[in-house]
Amino acid sequence: MRQSPLARLFIYASVILTCAVLLFPIYWLVVTALSQPDQLRQLPPKFWPDEPRWSVFGKILEERPILLWLGNSALAALGAVTISMVVSVLAGYSLSRFRVRGGQSLGLFILTAKMLPATLLVIPLFGIFRMTGLIGSLWSIILAHATLIIPFTTWMLKGYFDTIPRELEQAAMVDGCSPWGALVRVILPVSAPGLAATALYGFVLSWSDYAYARTFLTNAQGNWTANLGITTMKGEYISNWADISAAAILVALPILAIYLFLERYLVGGLTAGSEK
Amino acid sequence: MAGGRFSLDLARPSRQHWLGYILLAPAVLLIAAIIIYPLFVSVDLSFQNVGIARLDQPRRPFTTANYERLFTSPDFWNACWVTLKLIVIVTSACCLLGLGTALLVNNRFKGRSLARLFVAMPWAVPEVIAVVIFAWIFDSSFGLMNWIFLSLGFIDKTINWFSDPTAAFAVVATTMVWKGYPFVSIMCLAGLQSIPDDYYAAARVDGANAWQRLIHITRPNLRPVLGVTTILVMLWIFRDFSIIYVLTGGGPLKATQTLSIMTYEQAFGFFRMGYASAIGVVTLIICVIAAKLMMSRAPENL
Repeated sequence: MRQSPLARLFIYASVILTCAVLLFPIYWLVVTALSQPDQLRQLPPKFWPDEPRWSVFGKILEERPILLWLGNSALAALGAVTISMVVSVLAGYSLSRFRVRGGQSLGLFILTAKMLPATLLVIPLFGIFRMTGLIGSLWSIILAHATLIIPFTTWMLKGYFDTIPRELEQAAMVDGCSPWGALVRVILPVSAPGLAATALYGFVLSWSDYAYARTFLTNAQGNWTANLGITTMKGEYISNWADISAAAILVALPILAIYLFLERYLVGGLTAGSEK
Repeated sequence: MAGGRFSLDLARPSRQHWLGYILLAPAVLLIAAIIIYPLFVSVDLSFQNVGIARLDQPRRPFTTANYERLFTSPDFWNACWVTLKLIVIVTSACCLLGLGTALLVNNRFKGRSLARLFVAMPWAVPEVIAVVIFAWIFDSSFGLMNWIFLSLGFIDKTINWFSDPTAAFAVVATTMVWKGYPFVSIMCLAGLQSIPDDYYAAARVDGANAWQRLIHITRPNLRPVLGVTTILVMLWIFRDFSIIYVLTGGGPLKATQTLSIMTYEQAFGFFRMGYASAIGVVTLIICVIAAKLMMSRAPENL
């Protein structure tokens, strides 16, 4: 199994080159944010600014309500994930352990729902939310994001519950636990990593949404999510790319941080959820 | 319930229990309210002449005008063609790049867990942020791409990326590939890691070289994962809204207007929600067929 030094060199060179090319756009975002605005209007471009302008982040936080946008995104994601998790823990457990009439077809429906285009659901939801007065409120996207998240989380959790041996609950029930008690005291603690992965994945789905926020919240500036806020900056007549890039970094940071530090959970959930 | 004793045998083949139904109830209710009911409203709207959807008013008379108009509209067929082009180009590029990077970081070398993290990092960049990045790289006046092309001598005057139909399509495709390949990479890497090392060891003993190992061991073992992943990527492109909408809005001259974008534009740009719902319903039917296709591809996972 030993690799020759030449083969090893070749592998390292390809890995470094590939990463450099593929991650260049992220690097360029950082460079753009840290450059002086007038430097960006010069050719040839500078691949590292002479004096990195770290103050840009403070400036952009003062000029734009980015913290408000981030807060709204976080609230929406937490709300949608909480609703989705409660609902899908129960449903996933039921689909995994009980033979319920109609359970199979519900499972198939949920699988199909993962493929629904947001642009289709957004029209009737717009009508429904208008009638109920939810347009412009964060609740509109909390509920809409739940439509994105529940199909994923239910299948992911069913998958995790399937891997837990049934003997565990049987043992608990022999010891006098009710089925509900077995779920709460035995199954949930055992599947904590799976629950974390599922919740994180739901969080990422909600945080990345643009279609629903654009439709329901455009006229409610105080409730703009981070993604919606960023696109309004891009749409302005004269684009200040340094400022937009700085704002974009702040918006992307939470998800990038989750990815870099909790990748194991996130990727585990991604592959488990998609194979089902 | 407290103190009650349950004789629930979960191992029994016919496990029926009221608890199973109760646990399922919240999901059924919520899905009915936020997915199934809206779907019905959508289908209903598509058979009416509706401008802005108002559910508190009596429904308009039944008509199939929306569908007739749709199938005779050149815009619809243009959107189908754009969607198809985008799916073919972006899916093939995503699969090649994803598979290539997965094979690369599946090698044994020091720091490979870091390399795996980096190689799939664009997955964690929200779509809207990816759009910001590429809109600036492809900026007509001071964008990096024009400068690179000029310095390499590919072009002699700058390309106006967002007003030329072909160029705009290329920008959209590039952005989608960058955002989409990491998913393929992650899935393929998981697939590669599930192939037992023994297979490769045995092949080596039999004198198979690296290429033969790739063709005869990696390829057949990876095929199921790659099949499902390909369909998921296609569906993602099919449904995607934010990348195209924020990058080009479907323009110029509808060169990047996919079915998703057309649906949204008709509903919230021109406020023809009945017509837009008809496009959406057609889109849904295509999605369901694709979903069925996927299930038949991966029966062991269901």
